[in-house]
Amino acid sequence: MSAATVHQTQGGTLARASLADQTKGLSTLPENKHKVWSPSLVVVYVVLIVLALVWIFPVIYTISTSFKSPQEFLENAYNFLPAKWVTDNYVSLLEASASYPVFNWLGNSLIISLSHGFLAVCVVALAGFGYSRINFKGRDTLFFVLLLISMFPGVVNMIPSYRIVATLGWINSYWSCIIPGLGNVANIFLVRNFMKGIPVEIDEAAEIDGASDFRIFRSIMLPAIKPILIVIFLFAFTGAWNDFLWPTLVFNDIKKTPVTAGLQLLGNQMMQYNQMGTLCAATCMAIIPTLLLFVFAQRYFLQSLNITSGLKG
Amino acid sequence: MSNTASMTSIQTGARHEASGKKGRPLGQKSFWHALPYIAPHMLVFAVFGIIPIFFGIYLAFTRWNLVGSPKWVGLSNFKLIFDPSSYFYSIFWRDLWHTVLFVVISVPLTIIVPLLLAVILQKKGLHGVGLFQAIFYVPGLISVAAGALVWRLVFNSQFGLLNTTFRWDINWLGKQPWAWIALFVMCLWGGIGGNLIIYRSALSGVDKDLYEAASMDGAGSVRQFFAITLPAIRLPLFYTTIMTTSGAFNVWGQPQMLTGGGPAYTTQVTLMDIRNLAFPSGPSAAGMASAMALLLGIILMVISLVQIFYMNKED
Repeated sequence: MSAATVHQTQGGTLARASLADQTKGLSTLPENKHKVWSPSLVVVYVVLIVLALVWIFPVIYTISTSFKSPQEFLENAYNFLPAKWVTDNYVSLLEASASYPVFNWLGNSLIISLSHGFLAVCVVALAGFGYSRINFKGRDTLFFVLLLISMFPGVVNMIPSYRIVATLGWINSYWSCIIPGLGNVANIFLVRNFMKGIPVEIDEAAEIDGASDFRIFRSIMLPAIKPILIVIFLFAFTGAWNDFLWPTLVFNDIKKTPVTAGLQLLGNQMMQYNQMGTLCAATCMAIIPTLLLFVFAQRYFLQSLNITSGLKG
Repeated sequence: MSNTASMTSIQTGARHEASGKKGRPLGQKSFWHALPYIAPHMLVFAVFGIIPIFFGIYLAFTRWNLVGSPKWVGLSNFKLIFDPSSYFYSIFWRDLWHTVLFVVISVPLTIIVPLLLAVILQKKGLHGVGLFQAIFYVPGLISVAAGALVWRLVFNSQFGLLNTTFRWDINWLGKQPWAWIALFVMCLWGGIGGNLIIYRSALSGVDKDLYEAASMDGAGSVRQFFAITLPAIRLPLFYTTIMTTSGAFNVWGQPQMLTGGGPAYTTQVTLMDIRNLAFPSGPSAAGMASAMALLLGIILMVISLVQIFYMNKED
């Protein structure tokens, strides 16, 4: 398919040249460096652009559908862009908020995700400090045991966790989605490794100057580990925002539920009545917060994966 | 207060600490010094990390309706799961097979496609790499619940984007193998971003001179990929394989939202059974669900251990 496209755009010679180039194998030879438009580069561009379009298309299609009037959607759904951009769907979403409180859901998700993100950062920073800079006896053994336990498959924990949450009286409460995830050990592992890279002489000097442990934590360590804490916040936030199975278990009050669990209800209802535009509007609203976060913190999102993949002690 | 403590530790512990590892503080301190820092995590981890493991294993040997107290029934749940005439046998093995099928197809896809993309994005003279990377990464940030609604719009048989654009008449979500294909497309769409970033950073660390030397020796790009690239990034490759595999075994949201397990339960996976048995609208069979969860957990653990074992051997 891509070869055909090259054929059209660049002519037959180029397509053949690209084949020759592939068999020869190398476009990275030093003498090739200054050629801006090597044939293989064209192929790469075509492949990437086609794939990128496929990847982004569903999202754009959803956004565009959310601005189509219901009539237009029924008449010609296959028009990619709306003939007339209308906000009817968003208005009807607002009107349906008695039976489908989408704005409540978004508020719930926001409260849960922000609190979970903030608390995760606090818990991880403290524990990371405890496991890396305070040299108590059996520290590394204790941490190793925690790591080992945390590798136990989480699927076994689901039903008991529900029971514990119920015992604590957290059914239909934000706490049920904010607290359990704070037990994550992998994040502490990351922070601990990060902190171990900070020269120990800094602590020693501060201690000799009479700084307490907490002072060292607050004034030296916290600023030093800020980048990784931002990463942990972003991941905790999006994790809580996108969590799906657990909220469907612990919320049965439709007003209290976060947006993922709410969307499930909405999806089934609105598909049945062909209210696709309204459904798309709700979907867009659920997607936008994480997308905005990504736009503003793209650097950290992309860095974070480098850090987490370096999971080798 | 900690001043005196640290002064004594300088005298006692600091000397042989200095000879040891990096990142160690001044000297030995008592557990109580660390407790205020590790306690918040310890508490949550005990309640939601340790207790549920034992409780969950116990529940697998009980009959329980989620409300009253569990009743010990020994191996009865497992006997039913392994008894061909039982209902639980029929759903567990059918849906475990679906889960395995999902793992076997989706894991290679979510490893190989981002790897190839990462290699392509390494190409010299390519502009807009950051933009491409962002486009492939963003679907992973969209919740499965919202993403599935997007894909239901695309795959809808009457007015879906695919059928209307290409004038097809395919019942995507209501007929096999289309339902599986739709599911894999959606999972691939949302699943490559994270791995792509990991491979990109791993590839950027590979020594460029190796490629130059190999090309001098006349090795083609395919040969170079297998001889240089793959061995150089095998650790991130193992890491992503383990993470992707365990993620795929826990698949729930995608089939739940996209196909609802249909058509005719052909995309029903194990986690859906566990959830439906434990948390139905009617009477709950949480003990049976726990037994199924334990079996799935054991399978997962064995697979992870095998992978880690091979990783260590390779190392």
